[in-house]
Amino acid sequence: MSLFNSLIHPASGGCATGQQHQARRPRFEVEETDTAYGLTVFLPGVAKDGIEITDESGELRVTGKRSPGLPEGSSVLYRETSDTSFELVLAHDNSVDSGKIEAELKDGVLHLSLAKAESAKPRKISVN
Amino acid sequence: MRYIHFTQPIARSVVPTADFGGRLAASGIDRQLDWLFGTAVAGFAGTARGGSFPVDVYGDKDSTYVRAELPGVTRDAISVEVVDGSLSIQASRKGKSAGGEDTVSFSREVSVPSEVQSDKISAVYENGILTITLPRAEEAKPRKINVSVN
Repeated sequence: MSLFNSLIHPASGGCATGQQHQARRPRFEVEETDTAYGLTVFLPGVAKDGIEITDESGELRVTGKRSPGLPEGSSVLYRETSDTSFELVLAHDNSVDSGKIEAELKDGVLHLSLAKAESAKPRKISVN
Repeated sequence: MRYIHFTQPIARSVVPTADFGGRLAASGIDRQLDWLFGTAVAGFAGTARGGSFPVDVYGDKDSTYVRAELPGVTRDAISVEVVDGSLSIQASRKGKSAGGEDTVSFSREVSVPSEVQSDKISAVYENGILTITLPRAEEAKPRKINVSVN
């Protein structure tokens, strides 16, 4: 499984050229079991409808748009966070079964369960 | 994080790298490629590390607000205290580690205006963001005073 990821991804359907594409990589954790990968992505400030998950051409993409920043009429005294969207792209060479991806969001943490494709599971071949 | 052995390094890694390397050059964008094991370990260390967390402070005419990024913390374990103009936030997150579950603690102190109505402080935790409302004391609010001139 050659998962790698990047801040900006080229040649993707959703990223129009010429458009300023700003995103930052969220913190994440990967766990592996015999049958699945478990992906945890930290997306503080992202609501359920701000998340988009796509799996295409062996790449899993998670984007999270943060809810609008400050309430109207307020002024910033001190700022450390950013309203920039989150984007995580993980290539998996189709070792994940796209039909069996489950996602759950709770308190700004997204949990993804990625079932391994049959071809990616360990297999023992006997010699005749 | 376990080390996972690659049985087919050529088929699994070199080919896609070359492919993206080609696209990279074409796009002219300088990108950093991270492999699962490198990034996963870095990401794990980053999230597992407790300590501080980012905060914003903003205000309107009635209140000062402190907003903290604390994704995935246990609601019941969030503690907010104001003492002498210093707001103290404490939280913890349950995580998985090699040996089972472990708890990661976070804490931060933020200076806030001292003229706060301590008994009316409220906090909301939503989407991993803790927002604390610190209502200003009446005396501290700007007040318009009419002066009659004879």
